[in-house]
Amino acid sequence: MNMSATETLYPLHNGIGNMVRALFPESAFFINGLLGLIAVVILTSTLAAVLILLERKVSAHFQVRLGPMRVGFHGILQPLADGIKLIFKEILKPKGADSFTFYLAPMLPLTATFLIMAILPFDHHLQLADPAGGVLYVLGISGLAVLGLLLAGWSSNNKLSLLGAMRAGAQMISFEISLALIMLLIVMLSGTASLREIVLSQQGLIFDWWIFKLPFLGIISFIMYLIASTAELNRTPFDLAEGESELTAGYHTEYSGMGFAMFFFAEFVNMFISAALATTFFLGGFHAPLIGIDFIDPILNIIPGFIWFFGKTFFIVFIYMWFRWTFPRLRIDQLMSLEWKMMLPTNLLLLMMGAVFMVLGWAG
Amino acid sequence: MSDILFYILATVLVILSGCAVSLPNILHSAIALIGSFIITAALYIMLQIELLALAQIMLYVGGIVVFMLLIILLTTGLGVDDKLGRISTWKWISKGMITGLLFTGMLYFFTENSSSLLDQASAKAAPITIDQIGIRLLSTENGFIVPFEVVSLLLLAALVGAVVIARKDAEKKEEQS
Repeated sequence: MNMSATETLYPLHNGIGNMVRALFPESAFFINGLLGLIAVVILTSTLAAVLILLERKVSAHFQVRLGPMRVGFHGILQPLADGIKLIFKEILKPKGADSFTFYLAPMLPLTATFLIMAILPFDHHLQLADPAGGVLYVLGISGLAVLGLLLAGWSSNNKLSLLGAMRAGAQMISFEISLALIMLLIVMLSGTASLREIVLSQQGLIFDWWIFKLPFLGIISFIMYLIASTAELNRTPFDLAEGESELTAGYHTEYSGMGFAMFFFAEFVNMFISAALATTFFLGGFHAPLIGIDFIDPILNIIPGFIWFFGKTFFIVFIYMWFRWTFPRLRIDQLMSLEWKMMLPTNLLLLMMGAVFMVLGWAG
Repeated sequence: MSDILFYILATVLVILSGCAVSLPNILHSAIALIGSFIITAALYIMLQIELLALAQIMLYVGGIVVFMLLIILLTTGLGVDDKLGRISTWKWISKGMITGLLFTGMLYFFTENSSSLLDQASAKAAPITIDQIGIRLLSTENGFIVPFEVVSLLLLAALVGAVVIARKDAEKKEEQS
């Protein structure tokens, strides 16, 4: 916990970073930033491939199938084959579509995912940037994704796309409020809005994680975060925006080749980002789950933080996939009443109870 | 370095703002507006007002422009109607000259009469952290900004009330039919 001031300002202090700093003391800031950006781009691309394969495998096993098996061992190379296919596919533009908007729209959600990946705290020194208002940054950038969907739906010159985009927009805007209120609860408890500081505020045993703090409030708000983020991601049971039976595929009906790939890519990486934020806010981020027994804790501490981070995150990703194959799709009015009549009042109540617990000193 | 960056950003901002008011397609104007909001946020970051930049992105890009887009998408025919094309060149020039004169006058005033207040403010401009703003929002001395802002809820309540009063008739008609 004894970090010097410079270390908290520039989290990019690691082996490679220090080496670059020793070799090129003057341009180290620039080189380190560039290296970090390249790392984020590589990580994001790899994650998309892994998540797409994982989704197909998990869904197959839920339905007692095998899923992709032909390409590589148990279909490991399947995302690569899909990617090559999508790159060489022709990008079709519907007649009467607005060219500029049509080509701009898929880039916005992708940009948003890259921007959010830059501030996720993967480990003590594995974070590209740590703005003091990290939570605000996350909420603001996710607006870009909504813009991308709306523009895609409009520019496709297709009624079904437009309907899908309007549904997606309305849904994402309304559930963002719930998400913001849950994040606000955690910001209030930890007393900081920077993601790294939020993780550091959960240092200690497993019972110091925010999910187990506050009698019952932590676990309730965690469950509500899962619901709200599933809706924010437009995943089943909230995938009205692309309900196949009603809207063919919603806002990305008219996209082919890389345009479609960008939406698909952003959707899957956003799932990872939501899970990573849940890990950061509730599950102690990169901290090992110490249980207070003398001979087990050191063994848990040997495992590096980013492995714990990815482990917890992929557990939550699995929960998202589990939801998808368990619940049927909601109607649009059910969705809206869930948000505005149940989630929002409950969130406000939780926030107030959290404040009361803070004043009483029960928060720990 | 940061001077060059500022000039690049400012040029792009001016171009995008011009596009936002002059493009014939209203949706393209909205996209230009998004760009200009993001660049304004970048200028705030250069001034080390991080919270303002984040709030700018969150409220304007994530909130207001999304609502504007929803309204544009709900109305038909806005994408093709070129109303700006009907404005005559003479009107463009005359109104441009008036605006230009006002802008030049303002520029002249601020460069010639640089008040001591402005210089002092720019000299001691310290980065404002989120914590400082939070304390100012809620503190009992030199603060009380939150209670002041909460008063605006009254306006919202009045609006909702107006909608409720306006809706009653429609519901009655539905029951009768």
